[in-house]
Amino acid sequence: MLGFSNQTIADLLYWVTRKRWLIAAFSISLFLFYIPSPAFLSPEAHRTLIIVVITLILIIGEVIPLPAVAILILILEVVFGIDTPNGVAKSFMSDAVFFIMGSLMMAVAIVSQGLDKRLALGIIKLTGNKTWRIVFGFVAISSILSSFIGEHTVAAMMLPVALTLIRNTSDDQKTVHRLSTILLFSIAYGCAMGSIGTPSGGGRNVIMIGYISEFGLGNISYLDWIKYAYPMLLLEIPIAVAILWMTFKPDQRILDSAVRKLKVKVTKTGAMTGNQIMAIGIFVLVFLGWVFLSPSLGLGIVALIGVFLYLSFGLIEWQDINRNTNWGVILLFGAAISLGIQMKETGAAEWVATQSINGMSMLVNDIGFMQWFISVFLTGILTNFLSNAATVAVLGPVVLDMGGNPIILGISTSIASSFAYLTIVASPTCMIIHSSGLVKSSDYLQAGWKLFVISIFLLFLISNLYWPFLS
Amino acid sequence: MKFIIAIGSKDYSGPTLELGMRVAKAFNAAVDIIYVGEKISAFSTSEVKLAQENLDNWELDRKGVDVLQWAYEYLVENKYIHSDSEDSGFNTDKLIQTDDDRCEVQLEGCMTQEVGLILRNGDIIQQLRDEVKRSAIDVMIIGGSGERRMAHDLVQYVDSSIFVVNQFDPNQKYRLLLAADDSIGTKGAVKFGVRVAQAFKINVDILTVSKVDQFRDGYKGAAERAGKFMRRTGIQYQNIYRVGDPSEIIKKEAGDNHIVIMGASSKNPLMKFFKGSKPLKVMEDCPCPILIVK
Repeated sequence: MLGFSNQTIADLLYWVTRKRWLIAAFSISLFLFYIPSPAFLSPEAHRTLIIVVITLILIIGEVIPLPAVAILILILEVVFGIDTPNGVAKSFMSDAVFFIMGSLMMAVAIVSQGLDKRLALGIIKLTGNKTWRIVFGFVAISSILSSFIGEHTVAAMMLPVALTLIRNTSDDQKTVHRLSTILLFSIAYGCAMGSIGTPSGGGRNVIMIGYISEFGLGNISYLDWIKYAYPMLLLEIPIAVAILWMTFKPDQRILDSAVRKLKVKVTKTGAMTGNQIMAIGIFVLVFLGWVFLSPSLGLGIVALIGVFLYLSFGLIEWQDINRNTNWGVILLFGAAISLGIQMKETGAAEWVATQSINGMSMLVNDIGFMQWFISVFLTGILTNFLSNAATVAVLGPVVLDMGGNPIILGISTSIASSFAYLTIVASPTCMIIHSSGLVKSSDYLQAGWKLFVISIFLLFLISNLYWPFLS
Repeated sequence: MKFIIAIGSKDYSGPTLELGMRVAKAFNAAVDIIYVGEKISAFSTSEVKLAQENLDNWELDRKGVDVLQWAYEYLVENKYIHSDSEDSGFNTDKLIQTDDDRCEVQLEGCMTQEVGLILRNGDIIQQLRDEVKRSAIDVMIIGGSGERRMAHDLVQYVDSSIFVVNQFDPNQKYRLLLAADDSIGTKGAVKFGVRVAQAFKINVDILTVSKVDQFRDGYKGAAERAGKFMRRTGIQYQNIYRVGDPSEIIKKEAGDNHIVIMGASSKNPLMKFFKGSKPLKVMEDCPCPILIVK
């Protein structure tokens, strides 16, 4: 056919079937490009929204590498005449990107110190051998730790602890399925819930703080954020434990032998090494820097100081950081933030916000509630299919342009982006526990939907009854 | 020749591994046994890698190693590979990282050429396709319990012959059903059929199906040539001629006690994509093992 061999046609067909999302993205964007701009939407804003559509399709479909999506965003911003090359470059790099970069690098440094064995010992000392207490301990420790050092760092450290307990209980996966599920979800959900506690818990918190400051809506310090978000985290811990226990009640109510074997294993590691003490010391310094110096230095620069110290004290090799840092994600978040800023600058965010409000006003009278609900619900759903930071980077400018109290809407959006309970791809922690091979994709929905609904309700109560006193 | 056997779990891949190794032994082929773990979201690759490296520090095996370990034990138990008294069995340390998403261990085969155990991660079609290209695989052996779509895509996009081990029962007495017509693929199918029949010591039914009452000369010729080949190699066979829809007839004749061997369709790939093909239809419906020879 047309002089092509069967092999060439088969290869072409293969490419088309694998890249159907890419083809869909370009076809849709081409169509959108040639339709006239809707009323009150400038051509620049129109083109910015086309980039948003392409980005969302490409991220969800994962048909091309993430860095390629990032590069495409930057190219299109210039080619579509949305901003100058220098303007795009400036919007690409910000303190939020420094923070994401710094925190991903610090995660590698912290995990490589072998502190997880001490963590395991600490948890077991606190909880004893009753399964429900271990589950409570896993959720509480995962959430509190991840509120400071980032969720995937904690998940990477907690995973071997859980797997050791599971394998020491039984080698038969069927016998320990419910135990595996409850322990692994205690880590994943604990980490997700904890990531909202402080700005350093997740990159999207810093992205939102950056937007609020950049758009002249206010300044939120490290401690301010804690005042808003920490009560939600603390309330969610017992709720999550109860939901997990009711959903995946394990047959093994006491893990006596497994706990004993774990203790034997971790006590073999001996006393704390000098490097481990230094690693903890540096993190404490970084934490103090975030609390006291971030208003002047920025959260990102403080994180980079931490990385500098880890490297210069010889606690981690650059090769290890280079190998284990997801540079593609950093590039993508930089590009997504740049896109968010362009949405604001071109008026695209305001147009989307206005259209949403007009749409809502036809359905309900209480616009204030609907503004809040749409922001939170949409963010919660998107975060389960997209990355949470990408969700906030794209939705942030729209939410902040919706009217109402931008601080409440902004922080609610950021918190809702942690409701990553429903799918494997919702967050790196969900993916980490799935990589153990012990949880099925259907398990995520089983407990996840309950926690998702209750979290929205809890956030509604807190943002309406508690946050107004903070403003 | 080189074979690859794709396995997914200890619970379901037993028949695939057993039949696959028996066929590989018949051909004295080199064999790779591959486990492909699920694709990791691009947002989480580094984080999952970091967590897995941490598991290594705790001497905990990552997902898939247990399945390869089970395959290793099967190979030792059935004397497909050498096992010396100092051998500590299979563990992660034996796997050599060859690419970001691929690690392997090569073992010396006893009844076959060398045997490789491979662990990969990613989109299963992409990974198997890459492996076929990388190692110049002649036959891929997969289980039939997985998604139908997967087998369908593999037949469409992978260059090697595909053996789908559908509902194989080791205790069942099988016959071989060889579909013969005037297509190019029949010649290859006959060659494979002879080797399989010899190895398993089973009789062959050479089935020729015509859509019309009058059998074309090409059809008759192909069936007779296949019969001659069987006779020369001392295999008991019978020629069966039927009229009707080829896929339906093959499915009916095969029942659940045949291993079906047929040539791949020589149709244009676009036609196959939109309209399907005989081998694809048989593969989708037949409740028995089927080898599609390319």
